Formats: sequence, structure tokens, C-alpha cells
Amino acid sequence: MRRLAAITVTALIATVTACGGVGGSADSGVYTTIDGAKQIDATAPINPFNPQGNTFLGYDAMTLAWPKNDPVDPNRFYPGIAASWTVTPDQGEVVIHLQPKARWSDGKPVTSEDVRTSIGLAYTQGGTAYAVDPKAAGSAADVRVVDARTVKVTQGASKSNLFLRNVLSTVVVPAHVFGHLLPADFWTTLKAARGTGPAAEKAKAQITGLAEKVISFAPAKDVSAGPFTLERVNPGEALLVRNKHFYANQNIAPDRVKVLNYTGNQQIWNYLISGSLDSAPFTAVPTGVLKRIRETEGNEVVKGFSPVAVSLAFGQTRKPYDNVHVRRALAYLIDRSQVTKVASPEAGTPAKTTTGIHAKSAQAWLGNGIGELDQYQVDPAKAAKELEAAGMTRKGGKWAMPDGTPWKVEIHVPASFSDWVAAAKAITSQLNDHGIDATVLTAADYTLYLDELAAGKYDVGFWLMALGPSPYNIYQRIYGSANGWQLLAGQLTHVPPGTQGNWMGGPEIIDGINPGALTSRLNAANPDEQRRIVGTLAKLTNQQLPVIQLYDYVNTQFVSTSRYTGWPPADSDVLRLPAGVWMQLGMIKEKAGS
Amino acid sequence: MTVTQLLPAPATPRRNFWRGVLRVMRRKPSRMAGVAIVALFAFMGLFGPLLYPSPLPRDDNALYAAPSWAHPFGTDFEGTDVLALVVTGTRYVLLAGLATAVITVALGTGIGLLAGFHRGRWDTVLMRLTDLQLTIPGLPLLLVLSTVWKFTSPLEMGVVLGVLGWGGIARAVRSQTLSLRERGFIEAARGLGLSTRHIVGRELLPSMAPYIAMNMLIAVTGAIYAQVGLFFLGVLPFDANNWGVMLNLAVFGGGALTSAAALPYLLAPLLAILLLTLGIVLVVDAMDEIFNPRLREE
Repeated sequence: MRRLAAITVTALIATVTACGGVGGSADSGVYTTIDGAKQIDATAPINPFNPQGNTFLGYDAMTLAWPKNDPVDPNRFYPGIAASWTVTPDQGEVVIHLQPKARWSDGKPVTSEDVRTSIGLAYTQGGTAYAVDPKAAGSAADVRVVDARTVKVTQGASKSNLFLRNVLSTVVVPAHVFGHLLPADFWTTLKAARGTGPAAEKAKAQITGLAEKVISFAPAKDVSAGPFTLERVNPGEALLVRNKHFYANQNIAPDRVKVLNYTGNQQIWNYLISGSLDSAPFTAVPTGVLKRIRETEGNEVVKGFSPVAVSLAFGQTRKPYDNVHVRRALAYLIDRSQVTKVASPEAGTPAKTTTGIHAKSAQAWLGNGIGELDQYQVDPAKAAKELEAAGMTRKGGKWAMPDGTPWKVEIHVPASFSDWVAAAKAITSQLNDHGIDATVLTAADYTLYLDELAAGKYDVGFWLMALGPSPYNIYQRIYGSANGWQLLAGQLTHVPPGTQGNWMGGPEIIDGINPGALTSRLNAANPDEQRRIVGTLAKLTNQQLPVIQLYDYVNTQFVSTSRYTGWPPADSDVLRLPAGVWMQLGMIKEKAGS
Repeated sequence: MTVTQLLPAPATPRRNFWRGVLRVMRRKPSRMAGVAIVALFAFMGLFGPLLYPSPLPRDDNALYAAPSWAHPFGTDFEGTDVLALVVTGTRYVLLAGLATAVITVALGTGIGLLAGFHRGRWDTVLMRLTDLQLTIPGLPLLLVLSTVWKFTSPLEMGVVLGVLGWGGIARAVRSQTLSLRERGFIEAARGLGLSTRHIVGRELLPSMAPYIAMNMLIAVTGAIYAQVGLFFLGVLPFDANNWGVMLNLAVFGGGALTSAAALPYLLAPLLAILLLTLGIVLVVDAMDEIFNPRLREE
């Protein structure tokens, strides 16, 4: 009997402990949130190089600096592991000064050697500032330790004005934990790889061959230079505890951070409605659900600039979309306000016109120049004229191809993007109203959608664009590899439509302008030249309509004032950074009496 | 003279049959309700699209509107009447369901009859084929197929679901055939030297017709679940008035499980599926008694 009682008590304790796993919103000193970038995989290693890794940017994973959410300038930052930095005007040389008080959670100081090792590990993953190919634009040519707290990174001959941004985005890991992943002769091999000939190729292969080893490395415990360090992770949540060695520990209010896992937006909505989350990054939310979230005491919505827009893009080699008059006709028939109202009333604003740029950035880049562009207000008469100019015929109230065969507009979207599905349906309804037979076709998921898009299977599909703030990144979405321009080893080439992912299939030269070359030029141009190029590309995009810009996204985030205060205001330039960074900057404070 | 006395008048059994049907139906009012429900859905499938203008009207000022006299199940994300979507969407669901049922039953019955009647090698080959079909996981295969096949027509949907669903019926029909082929009337038919086609078509098949008919109706419900499920998962083409698409958009686009605003949009297709299934089950219940002599005698 006594044994039975003991078992019962043990079971009760176990149950209570288990039930306290998720939520725990009432716990004092605990900050509860989700990671918007990934779902938790409890089996993944504590490794920031692993895409599923159990490290959380801003909390236990630190970059050298944190980019500000500026509509135009990609080179504005808040300090991270780097306290300050200097850069030459051409961004040829970046000198980074580390936080003097920065220490790892095991008490060891964060040194220049840690940064150098992190850069070495980043080379094994390739891309941005750390491409092994010396001809790649904006790649680092040399990494030099100046002293224990100063590092100098030099850009290669093929310059990019995104070099500073890419260098400062480097995730810093401890050399005494990750350093053994790099062979002793790594830097000699890297130097050889940046040369030419068979020896260089062999060295390149050696470096890229390390990628898998780096990704799969699983440290026994988390050694963090951030405000928190990972204590434990299970399929439901990750628990991070305060790193007492963090250089700005006085700014950090919570003692612990719980990162809750989720299987989809539905679960995030439920967390928010139940008041479990202190903050949540951007999450797509229907109007009815937003109302429920707002009804929860303490919940508030913070909105800000999001350099992303969605568009209707055309396969320009496919008839009748090869004809600009057809594309313009569709632009005159699509009521963008109505589309936005149906698809994304809370997280979108109707595009003022098609420029390729988010309206807020466009204002800064183009100024009054926007007014000179065609606004493509709904105008069925103009649309009819454009369709007639394209040779389209009208039979029994329905528009048909020039040869009289039926014209069916098939708009493709991934089924998992509910706002895109609703937007596509709204567009087909509008087109059907105007005698154009239109229908929506969905792809099972986004990966399949992108594969089929790249394979040139779609006439018309939804496309993310305006991915700023860098103008190069913005126009690369329209005049980049999806439209045939490929920048490989510093050489820009244009591949024929239907090959190597060129599904947009636009002409290489339009009215004497090579938009891909201009876009590539944005990478190295000075601000004045950038402004001129952006003006040219915006005008060209507005006239040629390789895409029809539908709505610009609004960054919609959620915070709760129940337990913490000091949240960033609307339109703050920290809004797209993780809440861990807000804490580092001293923004979040525990509410008195909570 | 003797002959006329022995053979009943040709119209009498038929009249008796329909009288029996009526009696069976009246015995339980739920059966009448079942017939009425199935008839209602058949009417919606046949004439539903004619009852509403095409395209369906939209109201930008009434997105996810609450139920009202004008919109008994509210409106969807575009302000379209949800009831109109359910009614006009019936045709696709029923057509795909019927096509599935016909193919399932035709394949299952044909293979089951052949295997059971011929036995031996025929039986071995056809039953191994059936086993193979039964081991194919239907849903994962459909998910894979949907990446290359868009199923824009209900008949295409029906063909695939039918081809994936005949195994169970084939097994059951084979068992029935193995049992029936040992009965006296089959022995007599064989003894009379009647052809295999005659024995299978005229002797065996009519004996199993009620069973097959009931399976056909049940196959319709299975097909409805399968296709609505696939549309709900979002792996099939978008069609605003498809019940599965409505469920998908209500849950993932409208947040119907979280907010009351889109709840009627979720409930309407669910109710339609529930009603149609209920109607079919009630009709099957009636058919069971109509065709089963033992139940009828009771």
C-alpha cells in the first residue's frame, strides 16, 4: 500500500512537471516566444551552421552586428559582437573592433581568433562574403588578426557594396569549440583555392568538402556569447538561461527564455490568443484571428516596414504573355486594392504601381519620379485597347487569342500560401468579370512550386520581389537568374529562356537597355549612380511589366504588455530583428509587479 | 394450361417488388429521409449550377459575413455566398464519387468473379494482383501523383481513386463466388452446358447484385472522403466551390478553428459531407432489407 502511494505521488509529480513544459507564462523572469525562422528539431545539434541547429539568433547565436531595417541603406547596423567598425569608402577594407567585455558563457574571452575561425567555417559553407572563388563579387580576400580584439577583412578585386553587410552578418562561434573542424593548414589551402589551375581546384574541393563535417558537428553543450545559453531542448520547446558573462548583461531583463515549437500558423495563433507569448515575429494572420488575438489582455500589434512585395510574374516566352500589350491589359484590369483587401488586409498595402520596389523604398529612391510612372489604375477601356493592340479577339464576350483559339489565364500559386491563393482567386474573379477566362492552379508546396516555376512550366505565377534594402537584391529578383542573367565568377552572362532556371524569359536588351547588366552594376555603384540606375530600372519595369506588383507586405508583429514593457514602437528599425536583440539594446524591461 | 398456371403474370413480381420497397421504406422513416437527402444532392449536382449566376456574385463589403437570411452560411473570403458554393460544388464531388464507385465496382466485381469462378491459375494471378493493389498506400501515392497530375476533371479524379480502391471488393466478390459456385443452381447450369458468360452474367452476378450495389454506394462515400481530403491538404487544383478547398481555406486562410468569423465557411461543406454520407448510409440500410430475403421475411 505504501509502495502504491509512493508510485502515485511520483506519477503526480511527473505529470505536474510535464504539464509545466509548454507555456509557463506565469513564471517570473521567463520570456516566452517562438523562432520565426525555423521549427524546433530536438535532435538537431547546437550548431548555427546547421539549418535546423538548436541555436537561436539574438539569444545564444550572435553576429558581429545587427542590420537596421532601413528602407534604402543596407549598411546601417546596431553593434553585436563587434562594438564598432570602420570601412573604406569602396568597402575594400573592413576593420572590426570587438566588444571589450565580450566573453563566452564558459568565461573565456571572445577574441579575434574566434572571429577568424568563424569566417573560416563560413568559407566551407560558401556564398556572400565568403565565396572561395576569387572572381565572385564581394568575396573576402584576406582575414587578418590585428590584435586580440581587432580583425581586418579585405575585399577581393571584384567589389560589392554589400561587403560590409555580409561581413557584419557573420555568426561568431567559439574557436575552442569549433576550431578543430578546420585543418591546421586551412588558411594555406584557402589561399591556394583562390588561385588558378589544378592545385586551386583541388584546394577548393578540400574546403567545400568540409561543409558536411561543419554542419553535422554537435557540441556537447552550448557555449554562447549572447545574452542566453541553451540549457535544454525537447520537441515542444527550447529553454535558454541567462549567460552571466554576456557583455551587456545589465540590459537583459528575463532570466530565462522559452522558445516554443509550432507545427503551423494555427498553433502560433493559439499561443497568442492564450496569452502565452511575450512576443512573436511576423506571422500571417487572418482578420478574424487578429481580432481574437487583440482581445487577449496585454496583446498588442506592432507594424513596421517589410522590404518584401508580391507580384504576378509572366513567362514572357509563352503566348500571349510575350506581348507587352497583354501584360499591360492585365495590369489595367487587376484591382490591387480589392486583391489586398481579400488576401492580406492586415499585412499588406496595395502596390501604388509597378516599380519593382516596395512603396516606402520607392519613395526614397524615386521621389516625385513615381508620379511620372503609369499608375495602372483599373481601366477596362484601356485594357481593351491594349488587348486589341496585341491582336487579341473578342468572341461572345470572351477574349480569345489572335488566331481565335480560347485564351485561358492559369495563375499558379503554392497551396500553402493562403494569402497568395486568396489573391490569385480574387484576380481570376476580376479577370472573369472582364471576359478573360482565368483560373487558379495550386502546387502542393513551395519547393515544388519553385521547381516547376524554374522548369518553365507556368505562364503566370506569384513571385516575391522587392527584397531590399539593397537595390541590387531588389532588382535581382526581376533581372537576375530567373530572367536569364547569371553572375558567375564575376562574369555576367545571359542564358536563353527555358535554360538554367530562366523561366521569365524576358529579352536581354529592351529599348537599348540591358536591365540585367544595370542590376549587376548596382552591386558596385556609388549612391548617385545607384539612384540613376534604380530610376532607369523602375521606369523600364513600369513600362515592360515583366511582373505586376500587387501588394507590399507590412511587418506585423505581436507583443504582450502583460509581463514586459519597453517594446519597440511601430516602424522601429529593430522590428525585423529577433527579440533577443531588442533585449541586448536594453529595450525590454520586466513590468513592475509582474 | 398447366404452364399458365405455373408461371405468374409477368407484371406481378415487379409490382410486388416495388410494393416491398415501399413497405421497407415506410418501416423506418429514416430511410425515407435517406432517399430524400440523396435525391436532394442528386438535384444539386444536376441543377445546382443552374440555380446561380456564373460567376457567383461577390461582395467586397461582406468578406466572411456572418450567417443571415441572405447568406444562411455566411460568405467566404471574397464575399461569395457559402451556400451557393456548396450547392454549385456538389457536381464535382458527386461526379468524382460516382466515377470512383463505378470503376471500383466494375474492376472489383469483374476480377473477383473471374478469380472465384475459374479458380486455379486465374485465381492465383488475379488474387496476387489484388494483394499487390491492396498493399499500395493510397494517400501517399495520390500525394505523389498530384505533383504530376492536376486532376482538373472529376472523371480523372474518379479514375485514379477507382483504380486504387477495387481490391477490397474483388476479395469479397471472390469469396461470394467461391461459395455460390458450389450451389445447386450453378451445378445445374453447368450440367445444362450453359456458357461461362451465361453462368457468370446471368446466374452468379444477379445473386450478388445487391451486395455489389451496396458496395457501390459505400464506395461513393469513400471517394468523397478521399477527394475532399486531398483538396483539403491543398495538393489538388484550386476550385473555390470544391468542398475540400472550402475546408482548406476556412481553416488555413480564415482561421476557422481559432476565430468564429470563418466558422460557417468551415461548417457548410462539413455539413454537406455529413448529410450526404448519412443519406447514403440510410439508403444502404434500406437496400440491405430489400435485397436480403431473411431480413425481408422478418
